Amino acid sequence: MSMPYFAEEIPGKRVIMLGNEAIARGILEAGVVIGAGYPGTPSSEILDTLAKMKPYYPHLNIEWSINEKVGFEVAYGGSMSNARSVAVMKHVGLNVASDAFMTACYAGARGGMVVVSADDPNCFSSQNEQDNRYFGLHALIPVFEPSTAQEAKDLIKYAFEFSEEHHTIVLFRTTTRLNHGRGDVMLGEIQNIDRPYGFDWDRARWVCLPSHSRVLRTKLLERFEKISNLADEFPFNSLKLSSEKINGIRYGFIAAGIPYAQLIDTLIDFGLENKVSILKLGMVIPPPKKLIRKLLSSVDKILVVEELEPILENILKQLAYENKLVNEVEIHGKDYFPQQGEFSGEIYLEKVANFIGIKYEKNNIPDIKISLPPRLPVLCPGCSHRSTFYAITLLEKELKIKFINSSDIGCYTLAVYKPLECIDTEICMGGSIGLANGFAKIHSTENPILAILGDSTFFHSGVPALINAVYNQNNILVVILDNRSTSMTGFQDNPGTGIKITKEPGTRVVIEELVRGCGVPSENIWVEDSNNLNKMVEKLREAVKAQGVRVFISRHLCSLLEEREFRSKQIQIPVVKIDPSKCKGCLICVNQFGCPALSFDSEEKKANIDQEICRGCKVCISVCQYDAIYEEIN
Amino acid sequence: MVIQLNKVPQNWTVEKKRFSVLNVGVGGQGIIRTTQILAWAALMDGYQVRTAETHGMAQRGGSVSAYLRFGPEVASPLIPRGHVDIILALEISEALRVFNFSGPNTYFFINNKIIIPPMVSQMGFKYPSNENLCQQLKNLHNNIYFFDADKLALKAGTSKALNVVMLGILLGSDKLPIKEDSLQHSILRFIPKKSQEVNRIAFQLGIDKGKSIRRELL
Repeated sequence: MSMPYFAEEIPGKRVIMLGNEAIARGILEAGVVIGAGYPGTPSSEILDTLAKMKPYYPHLNIEWSINEKVGFEVAYGGSMSNARSVAVMKHVGLNVASDAFMTACYAGARGGMVVVSADDPNCFSSQNEQDNRYFGLHALIPVFEPSTAQEAKDLIKYAFEFSEEHHTIVLFRTTTRLNHGRGDVMLGEIQNIDRPYGFDWDRARWVCLPSHSRVLRTKLLERFEKISNLADEFPFNSLKLSSEKINGIRYGFIAAGIPYAQLIDTLIDFGLENKVSILKLGMVIPPPKKLIRKLLSSVDKILVVEELEPILENILKQLAYENKLVNEVEIHGKDYFPQQGEFSGEIYLEKVANFIGIKYEKNNIPDIKISLPPRLPVLCPGCSHRSTFYAITLLEKELKIKFINSSDIGCYTLAVYKPLECIDTEICMGGSIGLANGFAKIHSTENPILAILGDSTFFHSGVPALINAVYNQNNILVVILDNRSTSMTGFQDNPGTGIKITKEPGTRVVIEELVRGCGVPSENIWVEDSNNLNKMVEKLREAVKAQGVRVFISRHLCSLLEEREFRSKQIQIPVVKIDPSKCKGCLICVNQFGCPALSFDSEEKKANIDQEICRGCKVCISVCQYDAIYEEIN
Repeated sequence: MVIQLNKVPQNWTVEKKRFSVLNVGVGGQGIIRTTQILAWAALMDGYQVRTAETHGMAQRGGSVSAYLRFGPEVASPLIPRGHVDIILALEISEALRVFNFSGPNTYFFINNKIIIPPMVSQMGFKYPSNENLCQQLKNLHNNIYFFDADKLALKAGTSKALNVVMLGILLGSDKLPIKEDSLQHSILRFIPKKSQEVNRIAFQLGIDKGKSIRRELL
C-alpha cells in the first residue's frame, strides 16, 4: 500500500485535506507521542487518521480510550512524562472529561498538552450545541480556534509549543464545518522531538490536595494573566485597521473560526475588505486586550460575528467600559446574529449589509415553499437493532403494558421514529441506565423499566450506573445492543471486539463476564442473537418478567460491517423473497417491522423485498405470520 | 448604495473569484467522494478550495449535501443562497430540496432518478412521482437539465460509476471551469486499479453526453 497523502514527508506539497486530517497532520508535525480520546462526531477522524499514520511513524502511540475522561487522563499522563500529548473529543465529551480537565489545568502541562474539542453548532449530530469556549474561561486556559484547514494544521502544531513554553494546557476548539470541510493545505515539516521522556516525581505539582492546590491556583492565575498580556503578539491574531468612513462612519468587525472565513469573503463580495477594520482571532480566550482597545478607539461601530454564545461580545463590552469608551463606540453582536444554530452563507451577506446600511439585492433568490416528505436517516436494512426493538414492541403488545424505554446515544436512537417508536428518553452517554435507576424508585412494578444502550456506550459510562443498580437494588432490565462496533461514528472498535485503533489485537472484554463482575447474578443474564427473533421474544419475555437487576445482551454484528465481511470473504448473502400467493397484504412487515428493503405494491396488495438493498438478515421471515417470506436456496 | 458582487476574470478559467457547486443526493450515492474528486481537480488547476460536507448519515439513507467552492481566492466553505453556479443532483427530489440555493444563473445537472425514502408511506406521506418532480422543477427554473446517468453508468459497466458519468457531463457541458486532465487524474486517484477502465469509459460517455447538450445550455 502506498503512503497516504496526509502522512507524506514532503514539506511544501499542496494537498486537499479534510479539516480533521489537517488537525491530525498538525499533531504529527508537532512531534506528538500520545493521542487518546473517544469517538464522537465531528471529531472522530482525527484519531482514526493518526492511527493510519502509525505504520510510517512508529513513535505515535494512539488509542481509543474507554471514554473521554480516561482519554484525557491517558494524554495527561503523557504530558506529565514530558511527551507531547493530545486528547480528542466532541464538545459533550469534554463534559465527561471535565473532572480531570478542570484540576489538570491547575497543574498545567509539562510535555505540550492540547485538548481538541469539536463543537457542533446546529446539533448536526449532537444532543446539544454547547459553546466550549466557556471551558477556557472556566478552567483559565487559552482557547485556540482555526478558520481553515491550513490554519488548523499550523495552529495545532504551534499549540504544543505554546503549551510547553507557558506550562498550560491548550483547548483547541473547532466547529463542524472545520472538521468536516476540506481545504487546500501545504504540508509542513515533521518535527523530531529529541528529548528523554519520563516522570519527574514533582509531587507538589502533581498531587492536587488542598495545600498544593491553593499554591497551584495562584500559579494558574499568574499564568493566565501572562498569556493574556501576550495575546496581543499572538501570531494567529491580527488587527487590520482602516480609517476609511462609509457614509461618515468607521466600521469594525471581530471574528474567529469559520465565521471569520465567511465574514472575510462577504466583505470581499461587497468590496469592503479594505474599508473596514477587522480583528481576526486565532486565540479567542484570553482576548488580546491592547488590540481590542485599539479597535475600540479606531471605529464608531463594531459587529462581533460569533456563533452560539456572546462571549467575545461581552468581553468587548467589558473592555469598552474599562477603557472609558462606552460612549465612543457602539458594540453589536447578538442583536444582529442569532444565538442559536449555524450561520448560513446568506445570513452574513444580509447582516453585514444591514449593519453598514447598504442595500443588499437578494439576487432574485427564489423562496418557494417546498412540500416534500422528509428523507430521515433510518436504521439500515438488516440492522440488528431493529430486530431487538421489534421484539420489545411485540412484548409490550402481548403483556398489554407500556414499558419505560430509557435509551442512549448511538444509531439505535433512530428507533424513536415510526414505525418502532420504541425509545422514551435520551440525554447523554450511559444516561439510559442512570435514568432507569431513578425510574425504578417511582415505578416499582407497574411499568417494566428498560435501559437500552449499545456496547460501546455501555463500556463508556454504563458500567458505573449498572453497579449502582446492583448496589441499591433498583429493579431494572438493561438491554445491551452488542453490534460489535461503534457504528454511528464510523465503526470504531471497542473493548468488546478486543481490536485496537491500529487494528492490532488487544485484549477483549467479554460483556457477560463484565456484567457478572458488576454483581448481576448469572440467572439474571440472557444472551441471544439479535436476528433470531423468536428466541429473542422468548428470552426477553423471561427477562421482563423476572425481578431484580437483569441484563439482556442482544448480539449481532452491525449489518454494514457484516455486508463488508460477506463481500471480503466472498460469502453469498442469503436471498430472501416473498411468495405472492401466500402474502395476505396485512402490511405488518412493512408498517410495523419497517425494514427499508420491504415495500408494498398497492395495486397488487402484496409486499416486496428490494433485492438491491436486502442484507439477508432473514428476520422478516419470522415477522410474517403467514409464512409468505422465505429464503431461496439454490 | 447598491454594491455589485466583484468580478475578477484574470488568467483563470473561473470568471469570478469563487466558483460554487452544491452536490446533493442520497446517502450511499457517492456525494462525498464526488466532492472530494472535484476538490482535488480544482487544486491541480491551482485554485484555493473549500468544501463543507454532511458526514455520518452517508450510509444511513439520509439526504447528503456538500458545498464546494474554488477559485483564486476563497476562504468560506458555505455558499450563500442564490450564489450557486452548479447544482449537481444524483437524485431528483434532492435537487428540489435545495432549490432555494439557486439563483437566476444557476445550472441544474440532475440524474433522472427518484429514490423514495424508506418509511414514507408508514409515516402517512405520499411521495411525488418522477414526472411530477421533473415538471415542478422545470416550472421553477430555466436551466434545469436531466440525464439518464444511471443508464450510462450501466452501459460503462457498473452502476457505481454514476457520479463519474455526472462529472463527465459537467465537464463536457463546458459549465465546469476545470481542466479535463485534472478531473480525469483526480477521478482515477480515488478508484482502485481494477475499476479504472470502467470509470474511464463512464467518464467519456458523460463527456460525450455533456458535449451533445452544449448548444442547449447557451
